[in-house]
Amino acid sequence: MKIRFDLTALAATTLSLLAGTALAQDKTLTINSFGGAYETAHRKCVITPFEKETGATTRVVTAYSADAFAQVRAQKAAPQFDVIHFSGGQEIVAASEGLLAAIDAAKVPNLADLYPVAKAGLAKGEGPVYSIAAIGLVYNSQSLPKAPTSWKDLLDPKVSNKLVLTDISNGYGMLGFLMINRVAGGDLKNIQPGLDAVKKLLTGGAIVVTTSPEIQREFAQNGATIAPYASDYAYTLTKANLPVKFAQGVEGTPASFITANLVANRPNQALALKFIDMSLSESAQACFANELRYSPTNAKAKLAPDVAATVAYGAASMQNLFRFDAPTIEANRASWVERWSKTIAR
Amino acid sequence: MNDRAENLLLALPGLGLLVLAYFLPIGQMLSLSLSGREGPSLEHYTRFLSDPFYLGVLWRTVRLSLVITLICALLGFPFAYIMARVGPRLRMWLVVAVILPLMTSVVVRTFGWMVLLSRNGLVSQFVRDLGWAERNFQLMHTESAIVIGMVQVLLPFMTLSILGVITRIDPRLEEAARTMGGSFLSTLRSVVLPLSLPGIVAGSLLVFTLSASSFVTPSLMGGARIQVLAGSVYKSVTQTLEWPFAAAQAVILFVGVLLVLVPYVKMNTPKHG
Repeated sequence: MKIRFDLTALAATTLSLLAGTALAQDKTLTINSFGGAYETAHRKCVITPFEKETGATTRVVTAYSADAFAQVRAQKAAPQFDVIHFSGGQEIVAASEGLLAAIDAAKVPNLADLYPVAKAGLAKGEGPVYSIAAIGLVYNSQSLPKAPTSWKDLLDPKVSNKLVLTDISNGYGMLGFLMINRVAGGDLKNIQPGLDAVKKLLTGGAIVVTTSPEIQREFAQNGATIAPYASDYAYTLTKANLPVKFAQGVEGTPASFITANLVANRPNQALALKFIDMSLSESAQACFANELRYSPTNAKAKLAPDVAATVAYGAASMQNLFRFDAPTIEANRASWVERWSKTIAR
Repeated sequence: MNDRAENLLLALPGLGLLVLAYFLPIGQMLSLSLSGREGPSLEHYTRFLSDPFYLGVLWRTVRLSLVITLICALLGFPFAYIMARVGPRLRMWLVVAVILPLMTSVVVRTFGWMVLLSRNGLVSQFVRDLGWAERNFQLMHTESAIVIGMVQVLLPFMTLSILGVITRIDPRLEEAARTMGGSFLSTLRSVVLPLSLPGIVAGSLLVFTLSASSFVTPSLMGGARIQVLAGSVYKSVTQTLEWPFAAAQAVILFVGVLLVLVPYVKMNTPKHG
């Protein structure tokens, strides 16, 4: 039996398929989001309104910042994402490696309403900050009736075996560790005091987790009482009916910036810029604060008083937040993560 | 067209896929692992091999894989033997029981174990209630947890490999051994076990390679503080962004597995090949 290929028909089918994808691409945007409750809010606040307004379809790939960055870097020759969101400072490396395209401020009108700190990276090719997460002390208000007030409270041996630390491969975990390092006497040039302190905490029974859902499990099932983590996650735990509250340490509240970045060498940059613009709009930002208790970076975003009380809101409050020097963190990340891994290894 | 050319033609798509999806990436990984800051260098290999921490991670990976393989073989052999010797109806149900877990994602099954083994989980509580462990004891985040989770994931591979061989052993051989005065156990040991060795070897190879390279179950069950090599590779790729070092670690894992496998295969070929 012989099978004959009809080459012309095959070619025609292929061509029409290719044309089909090309057409579809004009109105399709590929982005990453962080999964779970975040992705649900992301859809409600930005993605769905964006699709409604532009008629475009959005393909959402669930990828945390580190994974997302690894993908964008691997795809440098043929990028697959249009807009990429980072929460761990990855945009600094991404911009320096030429993975991101510079953003034309004229095409993103909402940039004008952002606090200056949210658009400081624009000149270097980084995307704008659309949300801020504050890092502090997440604690169980029933088993720890006296609210913690200082980062030093984490070092109290009495709470060690109920303490949950987060691996510094996680962006929030890194900021929490840097605060422990700071109160233990270290700084960005010397993290050894922090590592020594962590070692002591682990001997006392502290637990190290790598992802945020594990924190929830520790609080819900395993009797954890305190963890250095983000205000938005404290709210997630509250919604899960856990008696959890968020407190800021007197030594300061480090902030984690969540950025929306334009990937270089993609065909639909106009549409992608529109998406970024909508992420910055006052309605999207108020929505994020309502849903997840992220602090808005748009100065015009209006929040209800009860929401405003639990986030960093307003120009004065913004100034209380501080950011560890992100380029220093990026430059040292590899060696810090290695030293941390060796410290916590059993 | 002669036979040879026809055979080659038939093998071509498979070969093409192999080259494209296997040899090419492996080659790329090799070259990446040798790329230093200034031209080719072995710096990533010396960094790994001169650091007790990474050597410890490698040793743990090999050690746990060996333990997992051993336990799978110990559980899998009797199970496969029983499956081969029962009636066809019961065998079908037993095969279903072995295969069914494979239909569920590894992640889901691992999460089940996480619930059972966590601090307030059933198993940990039971062990504590018996007074075998202190108040804070939990099985999660220990090497035992990794072994338990991996054995459950990999046991079907072992059982099915052995089953295939045992069903082909002529039952009359066993009957002969029993008539000659051998007890059930000695028959099992001196007749069934040697004849099913190819299945045990094949199953062990599968289980060992799969557990040495597996990543999801060890990282979920072992936690951040117990690292295996695959987890360390993942960390280097996604978190510290040291891809050449990650490639070097992957090559070391590859070579390490190969080093264990070669004598294993060699040991077995003269007898059966």
